[in-house]
Amino acid sequence: MKTFLIPASMLVFCVAAASALAAPGTVLRNDKLYSQPSASSKVAANVPKGASVDIVAKQGGWLRVTSGTSAGWIRLLSVRAGAGGLGGAGLGDVVGAATTRSDPSRVVAVAGLRGLNDEDLKQARFNGAELAKLNAWQATPAQARSFAAQAGLKTADVAALPAPQPAQTSSSPWEDN
Amino acid sequence: MKRKLMVLAISLVSFSGAATALDFGKLLEQGINQELNKGKQTQPDASQSAATPPAKQKIDAGQLGFALFGDYSPEEETRIGRQIAGNLLGAVPLVRDDKLQHYVNLVGDWVAQQSGRKDITWHFGVLDTEDINAFAAPGGYIFLTKGLYRRLNNEAELAGVLAHEVAHVTLKHHLKVLKQSSLIGALGQAASNRAKSSDQVVQNLIGNGAEIMARGLDKNAEFEADRVGIVFAARAGYDPWGLPEVLQDLAGLPAKDSRTSLLYKTHPLPADRLAALGEAVGGRLDAVQGKDLPGRFYRIK
Repeated sequence: MKTFLIPASMLVFCVAAASALAAPGTVLRNDKLYSQPSASSKVAANVPKGASVDIVAKQGGWLRVTSGTSAGWIRLLSVRAGAGGLGGAGLGDVVGAATTRSDPSRVVAVAGLRGLNDEDLKQARFNGAELAKLNAWQATPAQARSFAAQAGLKTADVAALPAPQPAQTSSSPWEDN
Repeated sequence: MKRKLMVLAISLVSFSGAATALDFGKLLEQGINQELNKGKQTQPDASQSAATPPAKQKIDAGQLGFALFGDYSPEEETRIGRQIAGNLLGAVPLVRDDKLQHYVNLVGDWVAQQSGRKDITWHFGVLDTEDINAFAAPGGYIFLTKGLYRRLNNEAELAGVLAHEVAHVTLKHHLKVLKQSSLIGALGQAASNRAKSSDQVVQNLIGNGAEIMARGLDKNAEFEADRVGIVFAARAGYDPWGLPEVLQDLAGLPAKDSRTSLLYKTHPLPADRLAALGEAVGGRLDAVQGKDLPGRFYRIK
């Protein structure tokens, strides 16, 4: 887990850290490996849904992966981090095994941290003092615009994404569960 | 055989006799049940409601404080959201870090400005828990946990998470859930007529505490918020891959991590969200050039 996260944050500054990344991933749909992080570049290979890959680098919406003897760039949204194939829980089971099951102290640490649950939320009583703090921290639209401009953020004309077609294949995630 | 029929007939008569003595609340309940069962299979005991016509015309939305069959006004929406937010803050306080909270509000409001909704005031807060989650309440009340914030690497990822929640608000996902439950809530109010203050009316509507935040939404609402949120973040000038990167990070977490148990009770798994988003995005965002802003990202001490 950590071996993936720490280099992932470094990558933001340094794509050359690629070889240190090598995190397992699973392909989510049939897609292509391109020679460059661009759909207009040459197709290096095809990878099927469910294939295991090693993620070695990231650039924008692209991941550089190796799959068997092939290597290339695949769309970020066509892969999920973590091994275990598509049939599993969809979470990093293998990575999890390394951090929890093989390390008893870690198991205790995680189990001891009882998270938010239904009962906490159900029993919750209105807290006006906290709500007043929330109001005090609120930013005005003008402040937000100025903060965005300071970092050179400019609004972009991006079209809405289409809703999925209702008549998709039965393997569509929209019809599962 | 004949005796049995007789007994049945008598019990039916006595039952319908009781039914005529029922008050307005019962009438309303039947009307509401009909409303809720629209499109569903008729229940086997429908003969009862057939004996008593639905009392649709008797529901006085104005008296109840909130429209049952119309839309909530922005003021009503804000009152509902304020109550849910105040209750949620009763379960988890805000992180005591002025710089963090102000930073999140600046980023969040900028993202929310791309949503096109100008009739509400947006509020953002970081909750003091190591749980990994984010919440949206109607009226523009948005929260993420310290546990989730710690996992973020840059401002684009923060913008992506907040944009998903902003999308829930602009798409009025929770209000649609409340619309369903308000039909039930109205029953209690009308029957008891004990809703003294307007806060009580709102609380009756949202149920116990902040339990609506634990109930979650339809998974298609989550996929929709991902699809709409990613566009809000891109329109704000951010790298659109912030939200997918957060989902990738969560996909790599151990399955049994207790910090994500509520998150996965109320959301589809990250792999399913990535796959659904991948179908919608395809190559449509290839030309978008956004900013990550890792340098400006505020890091919790």
